[in-house]
Amino acid sequence: MDNKYWQSFGEVNDPENFRKQSQDEFHEELPFEGFDDKGLIDAKAPRRDFLKYLGFSTAAATLAASCKVPVRKAIPYANKPENIIPGEAKYYATTYVQDGDVVPVLAKVRDARPIKLEENVLPGSSYAMGGTSARAQASVLDLYDMYRLRHPQHKVNGKFEEVPSFEQMDKMVGDAMKAASGSVVLLTSTVVSPTTKDIIAKFPNLKHVQYDAVSHSGMLLANEACGFGRTLPSYKFDIAKVIVSLGADFLGTWLSPVEFAKAYAKGRKIEEKNPQMSKHYQFESHLSMTGSNADERFTHRPSETGLVALDLLSALGVGFFPTTSIGKAIKKVADELNAHKGEALVVCGSNDKNIQVIVNAINNAIGAFGKTIDFSVPVNYRQGIDSDMAQLIADMEAGSVGTLLIYGANPAYTWPEADKFKSALKKVKVTVSFNEKMDETTSLCEYSIPNHHYLESWGDASPKAGITCFIQPTIYPLFKTRSYQTSLLRWSGSNQDYETYFKEYWIGKFGGTDAFNKVLEAGVKEETASGGGGSYNGAAVAEASSAIAAYPKVTGSELVLYQKVSIGTGSQAGNPWLQELPDPVTKATWDNYAMISMAKAKELGIKLDNDYEYYPEKPVIELSFGKTKVELPVLVIPGMNAETIAVALGYGRNEGMGKTAAGVGINAYPFASYNGSSVMYRVTGVTATNLHKKYRLAQTQKHNSYENRKEVVRETTLASFKKESNVIPEWRKELEDAFYKNSNGSFRANATLYPDADTRSHEIKWGMSIDMNTCTGCNACVVACHAENNVPVVGKREVLRYHDMHWLRIDRYFVSDEHNPDDLKAVVFQPMLCQHCDNAPCENVCPVAATNHSAEGFNQMTYNRCIGTRYCANNCPYKVRRFNWADYTGADSFPDNQDNQLIGKLDDVVFQMNDDLTRMVLNPDVTVRSRGVIEKCSFCVQRTQAAKLEAKKENRMLGGNDVKTACQTACPTNAIVFGNSHDKESDIYKVRENNKQRGFYVLEQLHVLPNITYLAKVRNTDEEDKHWGGHHEGGEVKETMPAATKPEETTH
Amino acid sequence: MALLRYESQVRPALVEGDKDYHQVTEDICRPVEAKPTRAWWIGFIVSVLVLCFGILSVTIEVIYGTGQWNLNKTVGWGWDITNFVWWIGIGHAGTLISAILLLFRQGWRTGVNRAAEAMTIFAVMCAGQFPIWHMGRVWNAFFVLPYPNTRGPLWVNFNSPLLWDVFAISTYFTVSLLFWYAGLLPDLATLRDRAKKKWRKLFYGVAAFGWTGSTKHWQRHEALSLVLAGLSTPLVLSVHTIVSFDFATSVVPGWHTTIFPPYFVAGAIFSGFAMVQTLLVVTRKVLGLQEYITIEHIEVMNKIIVLTGSIVGIAYLTELFISWYGVNEYENFAFMQNRLNLFSPYGWSYWIMMGCNVLSPQIFWFRKMRRNLVLTFFMSILINIGMWFERFVIIVTSVYRDYLPSAWSTYYRPTIWEVGFYMGTFGLFFTCYFLFSKFFPVIALAEIKHILKKNGENYKEKMDEIEHETTEEFGQKHGHDHGA
Repeated sequence: MDNKYWQSFGEVNDPENFRKQSQDEFHEELPFEGFDDKGLIDAKAPRRDFLKYLGFSTAAATLAASCKVPVRKAIPYANKPENIIPGEAKYYATTYVQDGDVVPVLAKVRDARPIKLEENVLPGSSYAMGGTSARAQASVLDLYDMYRLRHPQHKVNGKFEEVPSFEQMDKMVGDAMKAASGSVVLLTSTVVSPTTKDIIAKFPNLKHVQYDAVSHSGMLLANEACGFGRTLPSYKFDIAKVIVSLGADFLGTWLSPVEFAKAYAKGRKIEEKNPQMSKHYQFESHLSMTGSNADERFTHRPSETGLVALDLLSALGVGFFPTTSIGKAIKKVADELNAHKGEALVVCGSNDKNIQVIVNAINNAIGAFGKTIDFSVPVNYRQGIDSDMAQLIADMEAGSVGTLLIYGANPAYTWPEADKFKSALKKVKVTVSFNEKMDETTSLCEYSIPNHHYLESWGDASPKAGITCFIQPTIYPLFKTRSYQTSLLRWSGSNQDYETYFKEYWIGKFGGTDAFNKVLEAGVKEETASGGGGSYNGAAVAEASSAIAAYPKVTGSELVLYQKVSIGTGSQAGNPWLQELPDPVTKATWDNYAMISMAKAKELGIKLDNDYEYYPEKPVIELSFGKTKVELPVLVIPGMNAETIAVALGYGRNEGMGKTAAGVGINAYPFASYNGSSVMYRVTGVTATNLHKKYRLAQTQKHNSYENRKEVVRETTLASFKKESNVIPEWRKELEDAFYKNSNGSFRANATLYPDADTRSHEIKWGMSIDMNTCTGCNACVVACHAENNVPVVGKREVLRYHDMHWLRIDRYFVSDEHNPDDLKAVVFQPMLCQHCDNAPCENVCPVAATNHSAEGFNQMTYNRCIGTRYCANNCPYKVRRFNWADYTGADSFPDNQDNQLIGKLDDVVFQMNDDLTRMVLNPDVTVRSRGVIEKCSFCVQRTQAAKLEAKKENRMLGGNDVKTACQTACPTNAIVFGNSHDKESDIYKVRENNKQRGFYVLEQLHVLPNITYLAKVRNTDEEDKHWGGHHEGGEVKETMPAATKPEETTH
Repeated sequence: MALLRYESQVRPALVEGDKDYHQVTEDICRPVEAKPTRAWWIGFIVSVLVLCFGILSVTIEVIYGTGQWNLNKTVGWGWDITNFVWWIGIGHAGTLISAILLLFRQGWRTGVNRAAEAMTIFAVMCAGQFPIWHMGRVWNAFFVLPYPNTRGPLWVNFNSPLLWDVFAISTYFTVSLLFWYAGLLPDLATLRDRAKKKWRKLFYGVAAFGWTGSTKHWQRHEALSLVLAGLSTPLVLSVHTIVSFDFATSVVPGWHTTIFPPYFVAGAIFSGFAMVQTLLVVTRKVLGLQEYITIEHIEVMNKIIVLTGSIVGIAYLTELFISWYGVNEYENFAFMQNRLNLFSPYGWSYWIMMGCNVLSPQIFWFRKMRRNLVLTFFMSILINIGMWFERFVIIVTSVYRDYLPSAWSTYYRPTIWEVGFYMGTFGLFFTCYFLFSKFFPVIALAEIKHILKKNGENYKEKMDEIEHETTEEFGQKHGHDHGA
């Protein structure tokens, strides 16, 4: 008998009805009552049905109308390439090379697009020690520059026309070269590539001229005169106890700043048990970034550099008769140098051979050669000799140059007498430019065969003897471009292309493909340096010193031309990230300007009042020298030599560089002059006149002093720090004591109702530490953050309105003498980013909980949820939250509303950044924010997530140092440390434990419990800092709360 | 016959001109029933035009983003929230007059309460625009409402003062609207009964909710009024207290101040009364209601103005004192440098505020000044300028230079669209007010009849007559037959 299974009486007793009911439980159609086929009005309940219809159709119509599905241009692989997993990043070692700067990097490639450059750290390497520069970080954006030249071109009737193929191009150029009489000259910027040099050497009858926009030829010649050959030495800033710089911006722009900053920082790190650091003296005319980091700075006229060098040399001996007004300082420095023979070094930024000869003499006198300055490992950063260039122009003018091939040089813009070059260029029959953009020189050439971007090409670089860095392509060339080396090979009669040549060369050199591949993988190969050397010969000193002594004495204003860390010589001026990068010293973007002293401002009748500080309109002066006249806005900076006016190079570009660079600032190269042996980057006897006009200058920081707010910045002198090393811990303890006086429980736990993340020590707690002593203000982190987090570029118009979007900014504060603001004691750089407070004031004010705290200590931002009340930004004491004021990214809900012609009209650069090509640089792991939402530093949450996944895949615990933020890896001085602070093995834990005497939290008294420790800046001077501690003044009772101290009491 | 009555002379009549009940009805209904005047049309059209400019300004801001305003990375709120707090403040007088004065049985309120309540409602409507449209993504504004949703466990943040604002303001608006409408019901019924045209009958008929004037209706009406008055009274205090929490609970020096709640409430009543003055001085003149809204009303309200103005003044000085006496360097800086220092970038705004709010109302200590209509009108404008600057000073001068000197702002000044938005709310306000004054009685018809002394006056007149009559005359005249 069959069993009957039933659940309810209904099922047993009335199975038919039950089945029907259970089927009808979920109606599949809209249950229109008695609707049948009778039509709506005749239905049993027409009103209800009508409403149902209405509701359904309205909803359907709304859905259909509003959900416009965007067209996605994503094409899957037909055949998946081996080793490529979509969505997973690959890293390829390559090398950033620009104007002689060589930085080994790892290119992060996502889905076949390089999107970010990371430091390349090879354990044990003396060159690949990590760290990058702002310009290296930004170079990935140059790859996607929409103003790059896209195909070979030939000028017809004065206009460029595309040449359809390289074969045709080769034929055209080949024929033309054959027809042209005269020599064939290759004009390049410094070539550091061994294979390229090899190719050049093999090219029949090719004369190679190297020319650097900002040249070091004086130094090369001086070294030659002193018996070292025409080379530059290796500098060892790490072992130098005393560093003296005569106007050399070695942390920012001089020779190899990343390498130098790395080494310099080693000597600047303080170990608390035995506080010691190198001593950095800077003699200079204007305030440079390197000068900002100096322990003691002395200013002099630009024309006095030689005298200062001479004085220093003579002060090293006995019987010192100073010829400059800073003789006392020079004597002090000389004594210090004498006391540290063999562990001191003097560098000089001058391009004057005579001065460099004296500097060599000084270095010889202090025993630097062979110790801190090593000629046995010569470096190749700069090789250009100015007189070669001058000779070339003369030859061109004389008509003896038949063919001029140009790569990487732009003399029509950078040569002091550019007009001479331009007219000489007309006399050259065949002119070919390999430059990547239609720059000032290329536009004058007849043929343009654009070179690859370095991320598309093979190549190599040998920055110094024994070191080989490889460049490998990370993407198929975007445009019809070709390595200029291939062109040279073809025209020299070889059928090889550069790639084959390059591989064969190195495989032959390393003895096999495996060895080659190994180097390719690592990016850098190190061998013991061979050759170099020579020994010091002081024969040239007498001549040089008498030449310097004979320099005319100057009165009146002097102009000095300098490079900014962002723009440099101007070769990357078309890069939006670099143009929007605030200068470390002036905090100005998108312009160059005249930096003047306070005394000069007074003399020119410029009032430094509220209007000057709070409005972007800055006074304009006219600088004139001979026929060169320019109008420039003024920025008054403390710590300038009174008579010095400083103007940055690299601005005032033509249209061919792209809309980002064109029309930004003015070109200051015409102020430079060629004196017969080298180019001088200073002008004596320049006239400055106040035009009583105003110009809007976009600065990202308005106020220059930290107003002695100790809770914001702690800095002191080494002498005070040694004397009272527990000032900060005691001060922090007072804060807690004051808290306990009024409440019980723990300072941390009582801050917030939420569970304290610090108590869950088995979990992850991310934290960061920033050492203000090693932060040089170089801004590499700022650009890295741009690249990693898709931070939008807003353009000058928006920066002027204080709408800049940098997630990470470097606050710069001047510390001046109380009575004389022009007497600059120090410059403090404080990288400021979201502090990820555990008791974050931004979190509790958001009405929709769009910003909240993660269990791992992140203050996280949910862009989708944000409605843009900006309350969080107002309530952030650090003011690090950034609001999308306009549609900077094209991610807005309103289409095409960037073409706003009203208020807040967007600059061309915003459109450039939103071009399909430029957008290829975007990091797909990070949301592009739409207009109307707040954004801010996320502690690179995408990286922590990726590291967690990696650990999971490998079935291991996540290490405390497994995650490195973008800013951290960019930093050449390791000032930024990030990690899991609960992990006792992590760097962040150790840094915090080992730096209790310097570690503090910014605005700790607000009880917001920030997660970033700052290590106080210590200047290596013997001066006592009377603000430090506060126990000096007889019996003065200290206030209980640090916040409590009123300015009057803390300043005296 | 001995005079057996005693007449108190303390209070003059609240309604002048010896009106009887019918006359009152006629007077107050006249502007509603007559054709609109030329002045009304001009005023109305100008208001609508200004409103349209406001709509344009907001539309542009919504389409192109908050960047159409000059706010920046440091100054996140400027004119938008200043205007919000200003309008909310103005919206306080109405409820105070209708609720608190009702509970205190202040008879004079009936002359002004209807207009003041309407003003409250319109002001709150204007105020509400700012927190809505200042959002970067206003189309997601509904995120602030705690409703069950399909977005997973997403909920609003009950810690946020901005959310409290949402509740406070919506509650306040609802209660004020109900209170106002409940009071309107008998008057709407009157208009319905007097209506001659069909559409008027229909309109007022629907609006009157079937009011018949039965005793039961009146009883319920009185009870409802009392309940709503009881509900509104704490709201008068709570709404601006909560608005002040937007600032008081923050960490920004200059915002983080415990004095804010009472200070904001006093300021709100201060500015609200000033706005009532502005409107009534004009309304009574234009609509010819001088006998209902008398000079006594004006004077009483001026007294409230001098009182609340002085409270506000004391609050300012207390704040200043505490910032000097206290130990917080940052608060000290916010007050001494950002505000008190006339030569700081925004120093001027602090002194405008001080001048308008603290010094100028002191003139109302003089009776003659209190009864001067021109001066009252001028002062009411001045006070609202001052109160606008109070909010501007609090908001902008606090954030533009706070903790980190590196973040100190560039000079903030509004763009045309920021100003246009503010103007637009004036357009909204006056458009509503013109419509209100055209279609609704601006004086509470039913309520003002309560304070009419017509019966007493009649009695007095008659008694005079009677007193002079002999018994015979009386009996004859009044036809009383005392059993003769």
